Amino acid sequence: MREFMIEEKFIEERLGNGNPFRVPEHYFDEFPQRIKKRIAQQKRRRLMIRWSIAAMMAGCIFGSALFLNNSRQQNASLEADNTQYIEDALDYSMINNMEIATYLTEAE
Amino acid sequence: MINESRIITQLKDESQKEAAFNTLVHEYQEVLYWQIRRLVLSHDDADDVLQNTFIKAWLALDEFRAESKISTWLFRIAINESLSFLEKKKKNAGFSNDTIEDMTSQLMSDPYFDGDETQALFQKAIALLPEKQKVVFNLKYFQEMKYEDMSQMLGTSIGALKASYHHAVKKITDFFQQND
Repeated sequence: MREFMIEEKFIEERLGNGNPFRVPEHYFDEFPQRIKKRIAQQKRRRLMIRWSIAAMMAGCIFGSALFLNNSRQQNASLEADNTQYIEDALDYSMINNMEIATYLTEAE
Repeated sequence: MINESRIITQLKDESQKEAAFNTLVHEYQEVLYWQIRRLVLSHDDADDVLQNTFIKAWLALDEFRAESKISTWLFRIAINESLSFLEKKKKNAGFSNDTIEDMTSQLMSDPYFDGDETQALFQKAIALLPEKQKVVFNLKYFQEMKYEDMSQMLGTSIGALKASYHHAVKKITDFFQQND
């Protein structure tokens, strides 16, 4: 401990604890303004990121809606095609609705 | 001296946040600058690190839980930023002992360094210390910070801080005995 105190005293006496550094003139007067500008830049950047994310999400939702709508239309068109096919088949087989009804009743 | 609880309330209020932060910048810019400058040495580097410190603090304001004083929180960010800056500089520019050897002449030609050759040697002796000892020595010797405050700021026990300071003092004394 005694040795440490001698060493600390040596540094204090030989080197002192003054400040040998300087700053450019008006540095501390201007610094807050520079930080304000950087914060404004940060805000704009964050806003742009939010808008980009919102635009991407809107794009995804719109794309999905478009895809679903197309799928439904395709299904509806397939159903219409199937109905037409059955009706045509019945026509070609010369079976009328009355005969079908009779067949179904007898089956029960 | 700012009113800590009032400024914290203002920082949480979106309409007053920016003005309150500006008050913080005015209040702490000098003390943080000198802390950073003593670690990175050149004014341009200190300016970059100080800006990054405040921008990091601004972005992390929502995470500040007021468990410590604002000044302690800002000091911690400043020290972490300074140390990571030094680490990056070491990696990018191959910051080796050779460049530390050049430090004395670099400091002597720095327009923002007023010291004599002995002062430049003193800065070199500090720069040669391991990171933790460098930080502790600067805080204790130049800023006369209490070990209790330092412990809260650095998250290190008082005993470990005292040991770091003692080691730093010994190394600086040895450096001068060898270079005299």
